[in-house]
Amino acid sequence: MSQFLQVLLSGLATGSIYALAAIGFALVWQAAQTVNFAQGEFVMVPAFFVLIGMGFFGMPFWLALAFGLALSMLVLGYAFKKLIVEPILPHGGITLIIATMALAILLKETVKESYSAEAQPFPALFSNAPMNFFGAAVSIQDILNLIVSLSIVVVLTLFLNRTRTGRSMQAAAQNPAVAEILGVNVKRMVLYTFLINAALASLAAFLITPVYLAKFSNGETIGLIAFIAAIVGGFNQIRGALVGGLLIGVLDNLTATYVTAQYRAALPLVLLIMIILVRPQGIMGTSEGRSV
Amino acid sequence: MLELRNLVGGYGKITILNGVSFSIPKGTITTMIGPNGAGKSTVFKAIFGLLKIESGNVLIDGQDVTRQTPRQMIAHGVTYVPQGRNIVPQLSVYHNLELGGVTAPDQDKVKQRIETVMDQFPMLREFRNRKAVELSGGQQKQLEVARALLLDPKLILIDEPSIGLSPVLVQEVFKTLIRLRDQGVTILMVEQNAKAALAMSDYGIVLELGQTRMHDKASNLLVDPRVGQLFLGGHVEEASPADAH
Repeated sequence: MSQFLQVLLSGLATGSIYALAAIGFALVWQAAQTVNFAQGEFVMVPAFFVLIGMGFFGMPFWLALAFGLALSMLVLGYAFKKLIVEPILPHGGITLIIATMALAILLKETVKESYSAEAQPFPALFSNAPMNFFGAAVSIQDILNLIVSLSIVVVLTLFLNRTRTGRSMQAAAQNPAVAEILGVNVKRMVLYTFLINAALASLAAFLITPVYLAKFSNGETIGLIAFIAAIVGGFNQIRGALVGGLLIGVLDNLTATYVTAQYRAALPLVLLIMIILVRPQGIMGTSEGRSV
Repeated sequence: MLELRNLVGGYGKITILNGVSFSIPKGTITTMIGPNGAGKSTVFKAIFGLLKIESGNVLIDGQDVTRQTPRQMIAHGVTYVPQGRNIVPQLSVYHNLELGGVTAPDQDKVKQRIETVMDQFPMLREFRNRKAVELSGGQQKQLEVARALLLDPKLILIDEPSIGLSPVLVQEVFKTLIRLRDQGVTILMVEQNAKAALAMSDYGIVLELGQTRMHDKASNLLVDPRVGQLFLGGHVEEASPADAH
């Protein structure tokens, strides 16, 4: 029982970080009706911004985190929207999807060539010491990662549903034509969405990189799992992305512990196929309509 | 109240409006009619800053508001209810109403206005927490009209309010518009159901090929044989300059 609890909590912790990246897929889908296949790299790059802040500018870790977050919002939020999404979107969603694939390669190769091809250690936000949780030995890092990730999702949900700006963002996503005639600044709301996506990706990076180490290829795994999590949960719902992320994190850990670790990488793909066959709109998704 | 002077404009390189001119007085209902493609909805979009105006002017109470943004037009007291479904589907009825006042600096006042508007449309109070997408077509149209009233507009541009509604609900919407007119609001409407719309209007405008062909009292247009001819597939032959004023 204690082992099950340990595996479950560890899975939830990892899954909640996947969920942050998966929510980014949902947000960008709502705002621009496109899939950002560079989302995994968006989680990989901020860790290197932090390392640059510490290594090149001599910043203390916490300041480097703030630097990494700000730079990510500027580059992966603002510049991504202005330089890639806005010019390419009028040429069609598929064109933009292909552009994000190219961007993923560009980011990966740039980090590899300009920083290092080797995995870099990344300071942990929280202690990795074990603690007793109802008889199970669970790492403090896992518990705090889970709490921080879920708190971020709760804050984001409250922002979108309880504030006027959040509801304006929903209006801009669900019916941009109506939002415009009501006086909502649709372009600004879309920009906010991209900035939030970049911030979520950065926070996911800060939580997961201490475990995975900072490596140029991290985005491949994280991007694929987050993409599958978003589809499994329901691509047009934030809560769907959360459920998808948690589900994959937990199933991955349970399978590795109780079945086999050999095929754990195949599990998300099996889950994806099952969901597409049984419930193509995802567990929480709706077959039509857009909402954030 | 609203005056258009020789308005020319369209979508990209395609010109739809070829010199639309008319003026409508305050506190009246004016219905714009014309065959498909005449440019009726385009006139609304041009007034509201949603498409390119090549030349001409839009004036409100004598003030030139040509090429202003929707946000600026709202500040001038103009609201626009386009045809079709114009709700934010996943937001509640209350929050859809609230969006009607999103540009207002005083949000406490918006909350008070929502209560006033819900008094006028009791159905909205009943369903205030329901998602807008869960309302019927007629209820959604009422929500749109109510939302348009939130900032106490001087001028409402309403496009095809009867589309998709049952005859009973059409009468309800028309009654609402008459009530607003009686309160001093100016209404410019496009309506396919021309006879019914003209019957409840003060003035009528006939638009054809992006130009004003006729502009007269609605009661006169109702009995004008040229209007019937226009809607039977012909075009207005004898529109004198005096008709288009």
